[in-house]
Order: sequence, then structure tokens, then C-alpha cells
Amino acid sequence: MTAEPRSASVPAYAPDGFWDEMFEAPGQVRTHYVDLARRLATLGASDVAKRQRAAELSFQAQGITFSVNQDPSGPEKTMPFDLIPRIVLAEEWARIERGLEQRVRALNLFLHDIYHEQRILRTDLIPAELVLGARGYRREFRNVDVPRDVYTHVVGSDLVRDGAGTWYVLEDNLRVPSGVSYLVENRRVLKRVWPQIFADYRVRPVEGYPQDLLDVLRAVAPGTDDPTVVLLTPGVHNSAFFEHAFLAKTMGIDLVQGSDLFVDDAAVYMRTTRGRRRVHVIYRRVDDDFLDPLAFRSDSLLGVPGMLATSRMGRVTLANAIGTGVADDKAIYAYVPTIIKYYLGEDEILPNVKTYIADDPTERAYILEHIAELVVKSVNESGGYGMLIGPHAPVADHEEYRARIQANPRGYIAQPTLALSRHPTWSRDHLEGRHVDLRPFILFGRDVKVTPGGLTRVALRSGSLVVNSSQGGGAKDTWVLEGTC
Amino acid sequence: MLSRVADDLYWVARYVERGIAVSRLVDVTRHLELDAGSEDFWAPLVGAIDLASDDVRYYLTSDTMNPDSLVSCVRSARTLARGIREAIASEMWEELNTLYGSLATPTTARAVRGEGVSFARLVRERLQAFQGLAEATLAREEEWQFLEIGKFVERADDVARVLNRQSHLLAATGGSAEPGGSDVVRWLAVLRSCGSAEAYARYYSLRVEPVRLLEFLLLNPVFPQSVRFSLASACAALDAVAALRSAAGNDPGPAVRTLGRARAQVELTAIDEVFDRGLEPFLTNIQVLIAQASDELSATFLRDEPIPGRLVGVARATMIMAAQQQQQ
Repeated sequence: MTAEPRSASVPAYAPDGFWDEMFEAPGQVRTHYVDLARRLATLGASDVAKRQRAAELSFQAQGITFSVNQDPSGPEKTMPFDLIPRIVLAEEWARIERGLEQRVRALNLFLHDIYHEQRILRTDLIPAELVLGARGYRREFRNVDVPRDVYTHVVGSDLVRDGAGTWYVLEDNLRVPSGVSYLVENRRVLKRVWPQIFADYRVRPVEGYPQDLLDVLRAVAPGTDDPTVVLLTPGVHNSAFFEHAFLAKTMGIDLVQGSDLFVDDAAVYMRTTRGRRRVHVIYRRVDDDFLDPLAFRSDSLLGVPGMLATSRMGRVTLANAIGTGVADDKAIYAYVPTIIKYYLGEDEILPNVKTYIADDPTERAYILEHIAELVVKSVNESGGYGMLIGPHAPVADHEEYRARIQANPRGYIAQPTLALSRHPTWSRDHLEGRHVDLRPFILFGRDVKVTPGGLTRVALRSGSLVVNSSQGGGAKDTWVLEGTC
Repeated sequence: MLSRVADDLYWVARYVERGIAVSRLVDVTRHLELDAGSEDFWAPLVGAIDLASDDVRYYLTSDTMNPDSLVSCVRSARTLARGIREAIASEMWEELNTLYGSLATPTTARAVRGEGVSFARLVRERLQAFQGLAEATLAREEEWQFLEIGKFVERADDVARVLNRQSHLLAATGGSAEPGGSDVVRWLAVLRSCGSAEAYARYYSLRVEPVRLLEFLLLNPVFPQSVRFSLASACAALDAVAALRSAAGNDPGPAVRTLGRARAQVELTAIDEVFDRGLEPFLTNIQVLIAQASDELSATFLRDEPIPGRLVGVARATMIMAAQQQQQ
């Protein structure tokens, strides 16, 4: 351990009692951040600011943007990018990797079970009505087999650290997790605007993600060795359209919209300049509800009539499969450790955050009484919507959420407010601590593969705990170090 | 490739080429104005009348209500390109995206208010850079062919339109007369607005004469701004995609024949025959054929609509006949 002297550029930095990713104590840098701190100390504030602007321009020029409020004429914003990378040690990452693989394997066994024999529902481990009554449960897919029994080909789980530095899984995103393009692009841009800081570290590359994803998609094709794979996007007005275009381009596959596809004779085809072409695998970035106007929402213009029936017949593979939403329902989340134990016979490697389920009378009473200390979340929402942070919210909001919970207990869960870890983040002309989380991406085709890195999201407003880009969050490059560093 | 993507590529190329043509007009008319003082040179080139020069310039460069203004062309091209960015090289998309972003900067706003010329020039250079990037980065596959079709169909149409607007001048002079002083300036402006003044000078090394100029812009087989060259290039690209469609067992549709007819007009007619038949009807016929081919192209390749008519009928009859024979 090197006891690094106080760095010139960070004299005023204070961890404020939070777990800080870079500082062990005021002025004392963690070992794996020492080289980075030295780099920072030799730089002037104007230099960092200049690179920050260069990064911003680079995102702007490439159109790496998301649109706000789904407003077609509205502004396209770039995701704010912070230059200071987050560094994760190899051994730390190895544990995260094992924990995520365990979790994803167990969740897929769970999904297979609840759509087939329903063994777990006949135990008293998890209430059957919680599963079968979940909004994401699709009874139409009972007894439908999916290739390799894989339901979640792409998962993005959100990890956080508490005040003691312990990693927790905060939630799993099993439907259409987004953000992986930022993970790849953040690295590319940081390399371009600040290549020097890579010199002292051996950082594991992340740009293999699209190739890995393509391997996964090809591996789950129905009955062909040379499948046509496409990416189904809701269209240019979707907030993640850049990501859809990025992935289609880097995988070399067609980016299709609902109107480009049609079903005929129990197969999905796309309209091409040469005529129709059969499609075998659809990486869809459209929610279950909008996939097929015949089956789910008849007002959906995004979907393809007849797609659902075709998928049930196993003539086209959808990734992720239909009906995975049941397993990222936030009330079911509370049972993931149980699910791991039941299917794998193992204890969970990455712990859950303590979760109170409002549907349970005892836990509901606790939530209603302690709402001012808790974070209340709607079970089906994501993106930081439908959420109450008790300690930061006015009393009127507490009352509103109490009423909501009592009206619809199945719709809510609550968790203790975590003291999320912080990371030094560039603010105007100096470093300040900002709360962060980490979203790694887990691919599952032939095997489970965790991309070495992840999207570190930063709550850019001082003191804020909300990291979602739709709520003013930014991002950092995340470095996973090689083992032999 | 996807029909929707092909459709958008076709229109990106058309808007880019149209932007280039419009920017040349802005450039040329500004120079004319300075040469000739207050005389109104906009009207015959632009087709707009009763507008002061500043208003016309605004109409051509920045008017968002005019779908063919420079700003509108860039916006349309960029909006379409955003939806198909996966189908073109990243640099091509970034070129349009950066250009679009720069239109809103204070410097640009000043340039437009000032004279519009440096603005038009800047836009033209960026749009030509887009075409150059396409040339340098795209494999000669369908993406490239649809961009080519769009670019050359638009160019043929633009040049035919500019010439058509001048045809009344020729009617007045009987076509073959030597132009007077101010007419020389006017015809030079026509050449410049098609980016062709220097090439004309080198090719003929003679003073500007309307007939020769028309022959050059309409019938020259090797000059890339001529209608003939443009239509030949568009036909070649269209033939390439039609062949792929045929090879997949689908009808390539009537666009190939329609565009081929337009091409035959400029390939197989001499300039004096054009004047004998009348310049205006000749040019109008070319424009009509181009518009019809564009519609047919959309229906077949870009929307993959079933093609009604004889060919499908024949194909079906052949199939039915084949089946009958086996039962005899």
C-alpha cells in the first residue's frame, strides 16, 4: 500500500462519510487510483475542461443523443459524460461476474419453470398469485419452448454499493435493457480525448460486445445454421434510437421497424428491394405489449400482426423472449435469493437490497409507518419514474404514496434508502463527490458472458440519488483491470 | 436491403443534390446582381417573380416554409439519414449531422443576413463532401446504387428545369441567333448555375451560344452535369438493382423502361432535332418521364407493392400452363 500524499488538484475533496470509490479517507487515495490521481494532479483545470468540451462535441457530432419526452421536434440531448473513469479491481470484478452469472442462470430456470411445470409455485417459497398475477406474466406462453431454454439473452442489472462498500443488486432489467452503446462509446471517446490516462493501466476492452451479442442471437435461431437476424426498433423517435442504430451497424444486421416486417405462411418476412426475405431472429427493442397488435395492444403501430403466433410455433426467435417481465417485477425481485437457492442449491453471491413487499400485510404496515425513511418503487416502472425517495420528499408526497400503496398494494415495494457510494466527478473546475451505480450487461446464448465493464451512471446534481439519464444523470467510463496488473 | 432504407437513401441523395443545385443558384444570382446592378436576374433562374433580391435570397437559403430552400434540403437529408444511419458510413452521417447543427450557430445566421453567398458555398462544400465520402466509403452494393439513382435523377431533373426556364428566351430569338450583351451574361449564369462554365469553355473554347450551351448541358455524353450523362448514370444504377431483384425471382417493374425512354431521348436526338420539335416540349417530356420513373421506382423497390399489369399476368399464365401440362 502506498500512502499517497495529498494531491494538488484535489485538496478540497471530502468523502463526507460516504463510501468513496477513489478515496479511502480525505486526501488518501485508494491504491488502484494512485496513478490516476497523479495524472489529475499534473493537469490544470482548464485542460480538463478543454477535454470535457472535446468529448461533448464528439458526442454531438456523432449524434449520440437521446430525445427527451419522446417529442419528435424536441431537443436531442447528449448524455452528460464525466471524464474521470471509475476503476474496478480484477478480483472485485471476478466476484461480480460470478454473482451475475449465477443470478441470470437461476432467473432463466425460474422462467422456464413458471412457463412449464410450475414446480416452485407448489412449494411455499413464493406466493403463486404473486407470480401468476404479475403484469409481466404471459399465460399465452405457457408450455411454449424457447431455443436452449434461454429467455433473457440480454440482461442489464443495476448494482450499487452502500456505505460499507458492499455490492448489492438493486434491480434486474430483463426486458429491453438499454445503455450498452454508451458503455462502448464512452470508452471510445475517452480514448480519443484523453489517451494519456490509459498509459498506467491495463484496462479490459469492451468493444467486443456487439460481436458477442451477434453470437448469442445466432445461437438461438430456429432450425437454421445461417439465420437472418434483425433488430426491431420502435423508430427514430424512441429515446434509445441511437443505440438501436449503433448495435445494428456494428453487428452488420438490418435495423427494422414494424412496418418493414410481415407474417405470411407461419414465418416472419421483411420487405426488401429484392422482394421478401425470411427473418429468423428478432432482437426486439419493443415491449411485449407492442409486439403484435393482434395479440396485445390493438392500437400498436410498432408491432407486426401475427408475430406472436409465429413465435409460439417456434418459427421465429424473439430476444428477449416474451414474458420475461415477470422476473424483473420488483416484488418478485425480493425472492431472487430464494430462487437461486431453489434452482441452483447455492447461496447468492451478490446480495439483494432488503425489500418490503406492500402486498404482504405485515410489510405493508411497516412501509406505511416508515415511509419517510424508505425508497418506494412501483413494481413495473423503470427509468427512475414512479418512485419516491422518502427522506428527500415533502410530506405531501409521503401522503400521496401512502394512498397509492393502500389502493394498489401489489403495485409497490419499498427499500431502505441506501447511502450510495460516491465517485469524484468533475464539476466546473474541481472534483466533487457524486453518487454512482453500475449497470453491467450479461449475455446468454450458448453460455453466460458478462461484458468486462459497465455503464457507471452518475447523479450529477449534488446530493441526488437518482442516476437515470431521463432524470438528469450522466455517465462515466468504467475500467475493469486485467488480473495481472 | 430493406425497402424503407432504400427509399430513404434515394431521398437523402436527392435532397443533397438539390441542396447543391440551390446553393449554386444563390451564388450565381448574387454575382449577376453585382454585375448588372438593379436589373432583376432572379426571376428567370428561380422561377420566382415580384420579390426583392433579399427576399428571394432568403427564400432560397433560409426559408423553412420553402421545402427546397438550402436549410430545408439539409434538414430533410439529415432527418432521413438519422433513421438509416446504420446503412451508411458513420462519416457520412456525421457530415450531415454537423452541417445541420452548424446551421443554428450565430456565425451562420450572420452569413445568411450578410450576403448568403459564403453560406451557400459552405453548405455546398459540406454536401459535396457527403457525396465524396459516399464515393470513397461505400461498397458498390444496393446502398450505393440507390444513392446514385437519387443523385443523378435529381441532377437530370434540376438541369432540365433550369433550361426549361430559359426556353422562352430562345423562342424570342428563334433559337439560333447570336445573343446580345446582357443575354451573354444570362447564359453564362445558366452555365454557372449548373456548375458548368469552365467545362464549357474548355470543351468548346468559343463564346457562349445558346444552341451550343444547350447541346452541352443536355446532350453531352461525358460531362457529369449534363442531362444525358446523369440519365445514363441513373439508368446504370437502376439496372444493377433491377438485376438483383430479377435474380431473386421478382419483377423489376416499369421504372427501368420509363427511365430508359428518357435516356433514349437525350442519347438519340441531335440538338437541331430538339429545336425542330420545340425545346420546351422536349424538356417537359424529359421531366415528366423522370417524375414517372421516380414514382414507379418507389412503388416497386421502395414499397414493394405488387405490380399490376401484363408481366405478372404472363408469369402466372406460364405457371398455370406448366402445371396443366403435367396433368395431361
